Formats: sequence, structure tokens, C-alpha cells
Amino acid sequence: MAGEAVLELRDVCAAYERIEVVHGVSLKVLEGSVVALLGPNGAGKSTTLKVAAGLVRATSGDVILAGRRVNGAHADDLARAGLCLVPEGRGVFPNLTVHENLRVATHTGRSISDIEQAAFGRFPRLADRRNQVAGTLSGGEQQMLALARGLATNPAVLLLDELSMGLAPLVVEDLYEKVAAIAREGVSILVVEQFARVVLGVADHAAIMVHGKVSAFGRPDELAGELQTAYLGS
Amino acid sequence: MSQQSERVDELHAEVARMRLRDPATSRDRALLILGAVLLVGGVIIAVYGYALSHATSDQRQQLDALIVAVIGLTVSVTGAALFLRYSIAQFLRFWLARLTYEQHAQTDRVVEAIKKQE
Repeated sequence: MAGEAVLELRDVCAAYERIEVVHGVSLKVLEGSVVALLGPNGAGKSTTLKVAAGLVRATSGDVILAGRRVNGAHADDLARAGLCLVPEGRGVFPNLTVHENLRVATHTGRSISDIEQAAFGRFPRLADRRNQVAGTLSGGEQQMLALARGLATNPAVLLLDELSMGLAPLVVEDLYEKVAAIAREGVSILVVEQFARVVLGVADHAAIMVHGKVSAFGRPDELAGELQTAYLGS
Repeated sequence: MSQQSERVDELHAEVARMRLRDPATSRDRALLILGAVLLVGGVIIAVYGYALSHATSDQRQQLDALIVAVIGLTVSVTGAALFLRYSIAQFLRFWLARLTYEQHAQTDRVVEAIKKQE
């Protein structure tokens, strides 16, 4: 499936003001693969994702997208190029309807009917909620809407931050089935998760982060021991 | 899948076209600081010119001092413009994020209230 790395972080450090929270993280997302970034709360996973998306600047190291070092690139330029972040907390516009939230993605030049057809095909429940205000959707539906809006931009690389946050296990499983389907279409995905079980079912590779460092990287079946150590201590 | 390969090719092309700044230079921050320095420095020059004009009864020296004061004011206005330009963008970004967050929280409260009524 996978060839060259579409997104790569090399020895990346990142800080909020003077407090460094990511200490030399390196990982690769190969074309069409799913990479899970796992670890306990406060490990620096979301910050790493924000560095990849251009929302937080790396204080050192290299962020490489499609073979080019893109440190210092604006987040909107990266998004326009095809790097899409679905943020933690879903990031839907709560006072806009599902239709209006999807309309936001028409800036890419795609028509709203085209976007809705794709979104409702993938997430039929959103079609029933088309005129409902996004803030009144269930958590799972909001996450579907956030994913649908992200996919409407036709991304080459999708960054997902804590898809499962606040959702029931069945909803999470359903969402990760969709994520697997998106990956099969060839979109490269880097997903940050605190709860490892479901995401490891769809990931090609996983990295475990503890205290701002990647402590292990490999295929999901190779990481069971490291996961236990990361979450429960040795 | 071939459609996605095309998308990856497009990504390569888009990224190759992207204009990048060296983050180490941090031009925006330097201009913000320069703006603040000019703003304060200009006012000091203007006050100095004003004081200078009062320290002499020679009309030519008074005229020179007034010119210095006017230059100080010009520097100050330029500094203010630079400072506003590079600080207001940061402020507005923060304000937008705050508005979105507050709307989110407000909607959550309304939904919670509706659920309680039901």
C-alpha cells in the first residue's frame, strides 16, 4: 500500500512560551497509511499534531510535508495544500446548521450539492439532521460532521485529534470504521488517541508518546507491552 | 485510488509552490517591537524638542527644536501604525477564538436547559 512518507516529523521540539512539551519527536506517515499517536493525558500528542498542522511552531527539528521542509508555513497554507486537521472538541460551528457547516467547505471550489452528496453518502445520519443546528447534535453526530467537513476539502493528509473524546464505545467503533474506509481510499491519516484499543484495529503503525517523547514505534501487534508500560507504569 | 494518487501529486505541487518564511527571523514580532520602540522614542524626541525650544530665546534654535519635535511626532505616528498593524492581528485572532468558544459554551447551556425541561 504505502510508498514514500507524505508527512514526516524529524526530531521535533515544541514549546508553549518557555515550557517545552515535545522533546525530539520523530515519526513518519506513509502515503495511504494510518498512524496512531497514543499516550496518556498530557504526553504532548495534541501539541505534536498542532505542530504538523502549522498551528504551533516547532522550536527545533523538521516538519516535512510531501518531501519539503515546511517549518514556519501558515496553517491556512498547509490546509489549502491538502493537510486537514479535525481538532479535539470537534470544531463545528455550533450555531450553524449541518448544511451551513458543510457550506463552509465550499471555499475549496466544490459545490455544496457535491459536498453534501459525499458527506451524506458517508454519514447518512447527517442527512436526517441537515437543517438541525450543529450544537444540538449528539457528540457522535458532531464528530461525523467535523469529519465530513474536513473530507469536503479533499485532503491528502488527515490529522485527527481525539475522535473518541466524550463518545460512547459503540459510536467510537462506528467512527473508526469510517476512518478505516477513508484510509482505504488512499488518504494518509495521523490520529491522536488516548484510548488505544479501537484505533489500533485500524492503524498500520502506532507511536506511543510519554512525557513529550516517542517511547515506541511499530506495528500495533508489536506494541502491547509498551502500551501497558506507558499507561500503567513499569 | 488513482484519484487519490493524483491528489498526492497535487499536494506535492502545492507544497513546492508554497512560500515559506524562516521562522527564526520572526519578522512580525520584530516589527511589533520596532513599532513599540518608535512609538515611545518618537514621544521622547517630541518632548525633548519642546523642552529645547523653551531653553533658548534664539528664534532659529527654537525653529530647529520645533522641527525636531515634529520629526518626533512623525516617528511616533509611524511607530503607532506599525504597532497596531502587528498587534491587532494577534488580538483579533484571540478574540475570534474566544467568540467561537463562548458560542459553543452558550449552545451547550441551552441544550442542557432544553434537556432538563424535557
